[in-house]
Amino acid sequence: MFSITVENLQKDFRIYARPQDRLLELLMRKPRHRVFEALHDVSFNVLEGKSLGIVGDNGAGKSTLMKLLVGTLQPSAGSISIKGQVAALLELGAGFHPEFSGRRNIYLNASLLGVPDDDIVALENDIIEFSELRDFIDQPVKTYSSGMYVRLAFSIATMVRPDVLVIDEALSVGDIAFQKKCVQRMNDFRQQQKTMVFCSHSMYHVQELCDTAIWLERGRIREIGKSEDVVAHYEDYCNSQRVYTKGQEQVQVHDNEATAAAKDCRILYTRVLNEDGEPVDSVAPLQNIVLEMQVEMLNDNVRCYFGFAMMKDLDAVMSSYLATERPEVENGPFRQGEIITVQVRLQAMAMRMGAFHLLGGVADESGLLWYETKLSKEVKITANKGLGSFVMASSWTVKHG
Amino acid sequence: MSLTLLRDWIQSPFRHFRLFHQFVRQEFSGQFAGSLGGFLWLFVTPVFNIAIYSFVFSVVFRAPVPDNFGDVPFVIFLMIGYLPWFAFADAMGRASSLLLDKAPLITKVMFPVQLIPLVGTVIPFMVHGIAFVVFLLYLSTQGLVNVAWLWLPLAFVLQCLFTLGLVSVLSAFCVFLRDIQQMVALMLTAWFFLTPIIYPLSMLPEQLQPLMMLNPMHSFVQFYREIIVLGEFSLPHFHVMVLSAAISYLFGGWLFMRIKHAFGDVL
Repeated sequence: MFSITVENLQKDFRIYARPQDRLLELLMRKPRHRVFEALHDVSFNVLEGKSLGIVGDNGAGKSTLMKLLVGTLQPSAGSISIKGQVAALLELGAGFHPEFSGRRNIYLNASLLGVPDDDIVALENDIIEFSELRDFIDQPVKTYSSGMYVRLAFSIATMVRPDVLVIDEALSVGDIAFQKKCVQRMNDFRQQQKTMVFCSHSMYHVQELCDTAIWLERGRIREIGKSEDVVAHYEDYCNSQRVYTKGQEQVQVHDNEATAAAKDCRILYTRVLNEDGEPVDSVAPLQNIVLEMQVEMLNDNVRCYFGFAMMKDLDAVMSSYLATERPEVENGPFRQGEIITVQVRLQAMAMRMGAFHLLGGVADESGLLWYETKLSKEVKITANKGLGSFVMASSWTVKHG
Repeated sequence: MSLTLLRDWIQSPFRHFRLFHQFVRQEFSGQFAGSLGGFLWLFVTPVFNIAIYSFVFSVVFRAPVPDNFGDVPFVIFLMIGYLPWFAFADAMGRASSLLLDKAPLITKVMFPVQLIPLVGTVIPFMVHGIAFVVFLLYLSTQGLVNVAWLWLPLAFVLQCLFTLGLVSVLSAFCVFLRDIQQMVALMLTAWFFLTPIIYPLSMLPEQLQPLMMLNPMHSFVQFYREIIVLGEFSLPHFHVMVLSAAISYLFGGWLFMRIKHAFGDVL
C-alpha cells in the first residue's frame, strides 16, 4: 500500500517586482508578475513503512516539496495524498514560545501535532528523557542553546508517533552524540513500519536511513531510485561541480599552493576485494582482503599520499592505513589524465561482526591536508562461531607435563 | 463550497478545542510571563484607568450629567462606554500583526490557522472582560445593580463575534498588504471619536444623530449604558448588535477561510 502518492505535482510562485504590484494585479486584473516554477511535474510514491530521501542543490525545490507534503503550501497543479497522521520537522521548534518553560512548550507543540492532552502527560517523561534536558526543562526555552532547542523539538516530533514523519535537515544541528540518537530513533521508526520523508545534505544519512531517494534539480526529478544509486550519482555530480569551480579558482590564485593542490585529483571509486581480486560486499573474519581505490589525476606533476580507513560511521575510524609513513609507496609526480589504482593487502580480517565503510583518501605532500575522500558501500562482516568483537589468527598447542 | 467553509469556520474552536485551549493559555499567560506583578496587572490597570478618568472628568472638566441617564456621574457614564470599546480597539489594533507574528508557524506547521484570529480576539476580550467585571463590582457597591445585568454576557459575546469578523478580515489582508497596519491605527482613532463614548449622543447635531445607527459600536455602547444604568434597553440597538455581529462573524470567517491557503505563498 502506498502511504504517499504524489502525481504531476506543480508549484509556481508569483514573483512581484514591487509589493504594490500584487495589489494592482488584484484590482486591475492585468498580470504584473512573473512565474517562478519551483516544482515541475513531480510524481512519486512511497510505500508504507519505507523511507524516502530527497537530495539536491540549494534552491532545487526540496523545501517547497516538503512544505507541500506537510500541507502548508498548496500545489498549483497535481495532487498529493497521504495516509495517516503527518508530523513535520521543517523548522525545529517552530511553535515554541520563548518565554515559556520547556515543559509548557512540550504541551503546546504536541497539541499542534494533534496529540490529545492525556497522551502528552504519558509521553512527557519520555520526551524529557530522550532530549536529555531534565535539568533545564523548567527554564524558559529562550535560555536554551540552539542545540538544546533542536533536541527538544526532535524529541517531541518523534515521540508523538505519527504515521508519516517529514524531516528537513533536522540532523544537521545538535552534537554528534545526539545525532546518533536521532539516527537510531529514525531507524526504530522504520522498524515500526512508519513512513518517513527525509531531506538532507548529508549523503551518509540519506544512504543509511532511506530506501529510495529522489534527486531534485531545478524543480524537476533528475533521478529517482535506490538511495545508494541516487546518492552515488549525486555525489559524482557534486564532485564534478567542485572540480569545475576549483579549476576556475586556480586561474585566479596561481601562487596559493594549498588551493592549487585541492583540485589535483578525483577518487573514482573505493571498494573491497577478496584475495582473487573480486569485489565483495561481505567479508568473513580472518579472510585476506584488498582495499582498492582508483584516482584520476586532474593535473600534471601531482605528488600525493594515499590512505584508507575502515569506518564504523562517519566519525568513528576502526582501522587506518596511511602511505605517509611508508616512503616506499610511490607518491608521484603523476601526469594529468593518468588513472591510478591503489591497493592495500590486508591479512586475516580481525573484525568478527558488524559492518564498515571503506574510506579512501588522498592527502597533499605534507600529509596533513586531505583534499579528496570517498566512502564505499557498506561491507558486512559475516560472523563466525564465537564471541567478542574481534578475532586473531591463532594456533593451539596442548602439551603433556 | 462556501457552506463547508462556514461550517469549518464555526466548528473549528470546538473541533480543535485542545489546541485552541493551549493557544489561549499560551497567549494569556504570555502577556505576563517574566513580569513581576503577573496577573495583578489585570486588576491594577482598570482601577488605575478609572481613577484617572474620574479625576479628569469630575475635577478638571466637571462634565455635566448626560440626559436620559438619571443622576449617574459622568465618569461612570464614560467608563461604561470606554471599557468595552477598549476591548474592541485592543483586538483590532493587534489584528494586523497576528498572522505576521506567527509566520514561522503558519509556513512550517499544518494546523487550523483560523484559530489565530479567534485567539487574537478572545484574549483582549478576556483581559478587558476582567476589567469590566471589576468595574461592575465597584458599581454594585454604589447601589447600581439590577436584574437586567444578566443581559450583559450576551452583549459581550455579540460584541466579541462582531470584533472577531473584523479581526479575521484585517489580519488576512495584512498578509498581502502591510500598509493596513498603519491604516488601522488611524481608522481606530477616527472610529473612537465618531462613537459617542467620551461625549453623549445628545451633544451631536440633531440631524447627525440618526446616522449613528450605522455605527454598530454606538449600539453596543448605548446598550451597555441602558442596561447598567437604567436596567432596560431599546430594541433597535439590540437589533443592530445581533445583525452586525452575525454579518461580521459569518462574512469575516468565510473570507478568512477562502484565502487562508494563500498565506503560505506570501508569508
